Amino acid sequence: MTQFVVKPGVKNLHHEGEKMITTHCCYCGMQCGMHIRVNERTGKVVGVEPRYDWPVTMGKMCPKGVTAYQTVDHPERITKPLIKKNGEFVESSWEEALDLIEKNFKEIQNKHGKNALSVFGGVSMTNEKCYLVGKYARIALGTRYVDYNGRFCMSSAAGGFMKTLGIDRGSTLPWPELEHTDCFFMAGSNTAECHPTTIQWLWRARDKGAKMIVADPRETPTARIADVHLDLKAGTDSALANGMMHLLIKEGYVDYEYVNERCNNFSELKEAVEEFTPEYTSKITGVSIEKLIKAAHIFGRSPRSVVMFARGVEQQSKGVDNVCLYTSMALLRGQIGKFASGVATFTGQGNGQGGREHGQKADALPGYRKIDNPDHVKYVSNVWGIDPSDMPEAGVSAYEMFDEIQAGKIKAMHVICSNPAVSAPNNHYIWDGFNKLDFMVVSDFFLSETAEFADVVLPATTWAEDEGTTTNLEGRVIRIRKVKDPIGEAKTDWEIMQLIAERMGKGKFFPYKNVPEIYEEFRLASKGGKADYYGITYEKIEKNDGVFWPCPSEDHPGTPTMFQESFGTPDGRANLAAVKWQEPAEEPTDEYPHTLTTGRVVFHYLSGTQTRRTQFLMEKCPEPYVEMHPNLAAYYAISDGNNVYLETKRGSMTVKARITKAIRQDHVFIPYHWGKELSVNKLTNPALDPTSRMPEFKVCAVKLMKA
Amino acid sequence: MKKVMYLEFERCIGCRACQAACRECGGHDMKERNYVEYIDFTESRQTFPMLCMQCKDPACAKVCPANAIQITEEGVVLSAMEEKCIGCRNCTFGCPFGIPKFDFEENKMYKCDMCYDRTKHEIAPMCASVCPSDAIRFIDHEEMMELRRKRTQMNLIEGKKPSENDKWQYVPEFFGVYSD
Ligand code: SF4
Ligand code: SF4
Ligand code: SF4
Repeated sequence: MTQFVVKPGVKNLHHEGEKMITTHCCYCGMQCGMHIRVNERTGKVVGVEPRYDWPVTMGKMCPKGVTAYQTVDHPERITKPLIKKNGEFVESSWEEALDLIEKNFKEIQNKHGKNALSVFGGVSMTNEKCYLVGKYARIALGTRYVDYNGRFCMSSAAGGFMKTLGIDRGSTLPWPELEHTDCFFMAGSNTAECHPTTIQWLWRARDKGAKMIVADPRETPTARIADVHLDLKAGTDSALANGMMHLLIKEGYVDYEYVNERCNNFSELKEAVEEFTPEYTSKITGVSIEKLIKAAHIFGRSPRSVVMFARGVEQQSKGVDNVCLYTSMALLRGQIGKFASGVATFTGQGNGQGGREHGQKADALPGYRKIDNPDHVKYVSNVWGIDPSDMPEAGVSAYEMFDEIQAGKIKAMHVICSNPAVSAPNNHYIWDGFNKLDFMVVSDFFLSETAEFADVVLPATTWAEDEGTTTNLEGRVIRIRKVKDPIGEAKTDWEIMQLIAERMGKGKFFPYKNVPEIYEEFRLASKGGKADYYGITYEKIEKNDGVFWPCPSEDHPGTPTMFQESFGTPDGRANLAAVKWQEPAEEPTDEYPHTLTTGRVVFHYLSGTQTRRTQFLMEKCPEPYVEMHPNLAAYYAISDGNNVYLETKRGSMTVKARITKAIRQDHVFIPYHWGKELSVNKLTNPALDPTSRMPEFKVCAVKLMKA
Repeated sequence: MKKVMYLEFERCIGCRACQAACRECGGHDMKERNYVEYIDFTESRQTFPMLCMQCKDPACAKVCPANAIQITEEGVVLSAMEEKCIGCRNCTFGCPFGIPKFDFEENKMYKCDMCYDRTKHEIAPMCASVCPSDAIRFIDHEEMMELRRKRTQMNLIEGKKPSENDKWQYVPEFFGVYSD
């Protein structure tokens, strides 16, 4: 197959002695198209060239994407297995590392049972690998305890979409259609920093007169360009959405034909939003009545609108409710399933969409199947060649695995492609959990904060050293091409899982010689499920600029627009949400008088394991800071650049102040990409959403003083 | 070269991809030559990019006593020639936009050359290629003129009228190299 994919007439700069390989960025869900430049003589990755003809991103990249290639041949890469001896990591052979893993895994299982092992996965990996993580945990290790970092990222969106629409596909429409949208209602998404290459579509639409409404406690670079900035208090999204729907109904903006024909629960919703008058909504959210009314009129009058949201609304103890409510806003306007309109969440991780569909979740099996459904278990067992009775039962969510460690049930953990020592809430609890484990293995290509806790660190490959597919934020399945061979003795995550499976006597279930073989099995495993990839082949992806799932057969074109005829629920109708107001798990008190919210900056990705090792990004943003309003700063006599001490019920930290009017007076913001003493997740609240088990990263009560 | 660089300052989201990309251009030695600044961080997050204007009659070249700053036939003002530059830094003071940078280790000036190795083949410079918000664009002169007219039209749709203070919003400046 072709390595360099370019459309006729598109010019790229070819350098002497170099070849280009077409792939996508390894970071966020935008999965921007790019060509990686490789020196033909040395085989080293030397740079990046824009992929002008990738229809989603048109060659655009954020600074993370531009510098992504620099992690591949990075001097800090782990190139050999590391074993901790007397508290120090010592390089070892694969043989020795695997011996040690085999011995410990077997001993622990003999002593404490199968479920004493656990796997903590991640979704910054290809579909092939994410699929394999679930199989590895359940077959190779035979444990029920598997979950992944998507619990900190996408699970509320997934839960909300499932409940409301019956299928969780991040976007109901393809991204290039955004250009033709008339109104964007964006909640809890700092698109300009977290998914920057989307901005081109927003501007294109705005050039034609489209309106933007942004709900965010901060005047982010996204909120700055909005027609209405709803500067709500963190954690009050459900009230805002209810208030908007109250106005939509009152002002006659409901598409009754659509609602009657395609939605359930309208009368329940109507009753629930009754009390959310602009006055009441304003009281809860802190947004002025005028802004609420203006936003409702703009949204209500727009013929084509898209409701978009991200972690701001999802990382809450009522994240699923928020998603259901915002999705209901789009439903009331009759927008879902039509051209240039619908609902979308901004997938945070590169493969946050594909990675959550195929059985890495504690209760899920490939193709969005459920482990508590005997038919689903039967189908997948058949593909895997096991007896359905050997399928372990559902496990627990990511954060709750640490409860199981504390309870002495989980004794060993294999962390793959994740860094929960930074990214999980209530860090101290997580660190303590790692210390309590009898044995811990981490696969990573840098020595992350999590890897430092491990007994064995296995050198994994970067995205450029392996091939496969990912699913971008639209639900488009795309090709990641192998750019070069792995450095040192690094191995791909699938090879690592395969090697351990062999040691556990389960090698025959992992017979793959290459990635396409895994993909073939995975297609079959997803067949007939909600997320059906069966009809998607590598050739088809290349030919059609990616293929949207569901795609049940090879002659099926894929599904760019979802729900055109009916929804994925059993009766084919969408379920409107009727939800009462509920406070965040932690409200400001006399002792902790302010609200702390967390998020990303444009220069870093997740726990920063990669971006904190990239020179340009570190020059631009070397350390976290606390963003606060001048009035709040004045109250504590803090000036720009002063050290500020912050404390919540769970932890404390000291960071420098950055003073700006672009944040609510009663809120402070700290980005979360740093570890150890610089990790804001020491402070965040692990209150979990009852359905999605997503922690409430976005709201907690904090006190502060000048340090 | 028939294309121009078109800047729309208010579109900038401050991501600095243009700077990361500038380092990637061949011959740029992993040093960016463009700028992104906050207008006033205390007030808002508005940023703006700044590139070399590729002046018709460039002050930087004029004040160079060593004649080190060459102008290509297309009108691109290049970085100082290594063998000629004497490191006097006149250009950094002469340029009204503060564009040329100075490398104290190598004792030479370097500046935005509109990614000449790309633009001479009509391939967009790195900054304009990656800018996620189209704040920096590399477009035909005709397209640029059309954009200017369209902006005025959009403002009229919104019911605004130009005033002494904001007439620049209606007829934005354009910068860049073009020949007729
Ligand atoms: S991080 Fe996201 S927006 Fe930035 S280049 Fe990568 S995929 Fe694109
Ligand atoms: S790439 Fe574009 S949006 Fe980003 S800082 Fe540069 S000019 Fe601004
Ligand atoms: S460096 Fe300054 S003076 Fe020289 S061409 Fe550029 S903008 Fe004009």
